[in-house]
Amino acid sequence: MGNMNNYKSENPDSQMKYNRRDFIKKMAIGGSTVILFGCRSLAQPSGGKAKKTLTYSMILADYSKCTGCRTCETVCSAYNHKQMVNGEVLPGLGNPHYSNIKIYSYNPDVDIPVACAMCPDNPCIEACPVASDPKTGRKALYRDEKTLAIKNDLNRCTGCGNCVEACRDQRAGVIIPNPETNKPERMCTLCNGDPQCVKYCPYGALSFVTVSPGREFQGVPADMIAKELTKRWYSIQN
Amino acid sequence: MAHKKPGYHGVLLDINLTTGKSSPKKISSQDIGMFIGGRGLGMKILWDRLKKPGIDPLSPENPLMFMPGPFSGFPIPSSSRTCVVTKSPCTSSLHSSYPFASTVSYSNVGGFFGPEIRFAGYDGIVITGRASAPVYIVIDNDRVEIREAKKFWGMGTDEFDKKFIEELGDRRFRTCYIGPAGENQVSYACIIHTAARAAGRGTGCVMGSKNLKAIAVRGSMIPDVADHKQFLAALEEASQAFKGISGTLLTKIWRRSGTAVSIERSSKKGSMAVKNYREGTFSEIDKIGADAARKFWIRDFACFCCPLSCKKSGVIKNGAYAGLIHDGPEYETGTMFGANLMVSDLEGLMKAVFNGDDYGLDIISTGNVIGFLMEAYEKGIIDKEFLDGIELKWGNIDAILKMIDKIAKREGVGDLASKGVKALSKRIGKDSEKFAIHVKGLELAAWNVHVEPPKGICYATSNRGACHQSGNTVEAQNFRAMIDSIGICRFTTDWGHWYLPGLGSDNFSRILTAITGIEWTKEELMKSGERIFNLEKMINYREGFRRVDDNLPDRFFEEPLSVGSEKGAVLHREKFSEMLDEYYKIRGWDPETTKPGKSRLERLGLSFTLQDHQI
Repeated sequence: MGNMNNYKSENPDSQMKYNRRDFIKKMAIGGSTVILFGCRSLAQPSGGKAKKTLTYSMILADYSKCTGCRTCETVCSAYNHKQMVNGEVLPGLGNPHYSNIKIYSYNPDVDIPVACAMCPDNPCIEACPVASDPKTGRKALYRDEKTLAIKNDLNRCTGCGNCVEACRDQRAGVIIPNPETNKPERMCTLCNGDPQCVKYCPYGALSFVTVSPGREFQGVPADMIAKELTKRWYSIQN
Repeated sequence: MAHKKPGYHGVLLDINLTTGKSSPKKISSQDIGMFIGGRGLGMKILWDRLKKPGIDPLSPENPLMFMPGPFSGFPIPSSSRTCVVTKSPCTSSLHSSYPFASTVSYSNVGGFFGPEIRFAGYDGIVITGRASAPVYIVIDNDRVEIREAKKFWGMGTDEFDKKFIEELGDRRFRTCYIGPAGENQVSYACIIHTAARAAGRGTGCVMGSKNLKAIAVRGSMIPDVADHKQFLAALEEASQAFKGISGTLLTKIWRRSGTAVSIERSSKKGSMAVKNYREGTFSEIDKIGADAARKFWIRDFACFCCPLSCKKSGVIKNGAYAGLIHDGPEYETGTMFGANLMVSDLEGLMKAVFNGDDYGLDIISTGNVIGFLMEAYEKGIIDKEFLDGIELKWGNIDAILKMIDKIAKREGVGDLASKGVKALSKRIGKDSEKFAIHVKGLELAAWNVHVEPPKGICYATSNRGACHQSGNTVEAQNFRAMIDSIGICRFTTDWGHWYLPGLGSDNFSRILTAITGIEWTKEELMKSGERIFNLEKMINYREGFRRVDDNLPDRFFEEPLSVGSEKGAVLHREKFSEMLDEYYKIRGWDPETTKPGKSRLERLGLSFTLQDHQI
């Protein structure tokens, strides 16, 4: 995986303060009382039972290595937006529009890959109004038991858009509604355990790793990450 | 949908700023098969639209085109380039009877703009007319809007880049725009993209003449390909070009320093523009090269799907310009504002590069113009009064910054200087044309020619004036015309005679064939390049450009290099003339008039150009 130290602050306390402050602000907007930062475990989604700590793997970005080339968008799109060609299902042509991971580029140059953060407290699932299935415990939006990725059951989803709002208001705004059905899209699939973005990133900026607890920038909107990194990288004060 | 070819949308977006109307226009299949896209298709449209020679490049009739190629939008390594095609506002002919005679102009820019044009459903954007007040264009798939841009007029490109994306409300829009230099119609103004990339050589002047500040594009589409499976296989194959021992090594060199790696190398070889091209070696080169600049560099950034990331972004940490954030220096910017002006103050150089980009000036031409004025001042041909009191001495950064201001704003001496060295030397006289370093009115770039006669052929015969990208031989020129038409970067095209990592001719043929369904071979691709180059030549010939215009400044024949490892190097006029004879012979052009021969034009499918009664 990428060297996480590359984007560790020289003064971790001040960074944490920054993030927490902004987060609390966001939380207030979202109306949630969930305390996020420092969250060290993933609570099992099925309600009611005692919380159990799980480790899980997800896509992490090393912002110092990302060059903004968007290769990840094209391979994500090709894999996750397959095409039927002469009766055969093939990888797509890589139109970035259908990519689950997105690169946001800034001036001064900072490039932020944004993929589903698989937030431990999953505000998107919390917001889903569809009743839990008594057998599986799943709402329409649920966590895959094996990969822990967020998935949507298209048959049960009503397209209400609550999850989209929750992600937008409380986190990075990764989930967006399908323009026709209004059902949520762009949750990271982890490509059946072989994430294409990680595999093809020419710069080794993405990794598929078991996440470390309390990591920085999880679920933080790209604008806020960029603002913070611009300060760290381009400021001459320090 | 019969017109729609695989690999293409088959559609141009035609925008007329005089009427404010826009409409999709079909592209003929024949044009696609013959001219590919990008520079080539742009030239065909230029031929079709400019129905007669001598049209004022700053008139509403001159089309300004943004032309991606058939690779654009697909995840092919380094398929990021867009060609801006128009009639040049920089060039002029010695004996043409048309007062506004000028050459074609093609300017290649990387980044994300070209791919996005294709995502929006077009193979190109053609802009004609002139808005009555400053406007910008927003293209969101099939929705096209022309909006007022008054509040942005006069804004530097760096600030505009940030403000514009805020106004658009979505960072996924891709934008390009002009700065004050383009607005004021400095003849060598640029079009800037991402505040760091430029389509240079006068395209920004044409955009300014249309009262067009900016274009924003966003889209969700991609063209179909002819053979999906073949395409995926060819793509996988192409990615191998950046692997293995040599692929990895060459990729690393690009990533480490970008084009700035050439700054010190070129000086050592005597091939650098130094002191207004008087020399090829700069004694203080170590102060402005890549290794010196490394202390500023924070990070690398790349164009669409490019594994090379040749661009370096950084911040000046101390001195008078502490806090200045910008990219570079690159080879061209670092040389033209560095060695060519005898500047060894790297912080000052970076400030000049920032200001040049912020105004939207072509730094190649600007550095050349300032070098010319410095020499004229040193020689006493012009005085301080002519320079509005600026002490324009070699290496004086403050004076250089003042001159950049004057040029961009066209104030005082800057008004004349904004027209380039040809116009300046014409006004100044006194044999100053001997060191006015241009061809056909377009200034030479940062590669000097004393030590490299074929580079002289490149500059003399390029179809847009002194272009360093044109190629030193007929074959290289044809090759590059083809590359510029496909939408891929030349830095990743290795056809055996390059020292670059990247796609070889087999990769090209396979990918392009899979995309378009047209059986492209290496030979057919090279023939297309020749066709495109000849069509450009026919436009120039119609304008009245002749052999006498294919010349180099006297300096290169009369003043040998006086320092460096290549001391004494100079070009010989007779030998150069023989080289030109040979060049025209290979081209199949008349050596007296440079008119392309009938049989060659017929073989290339360009007979239609001969039917024009004005030729």
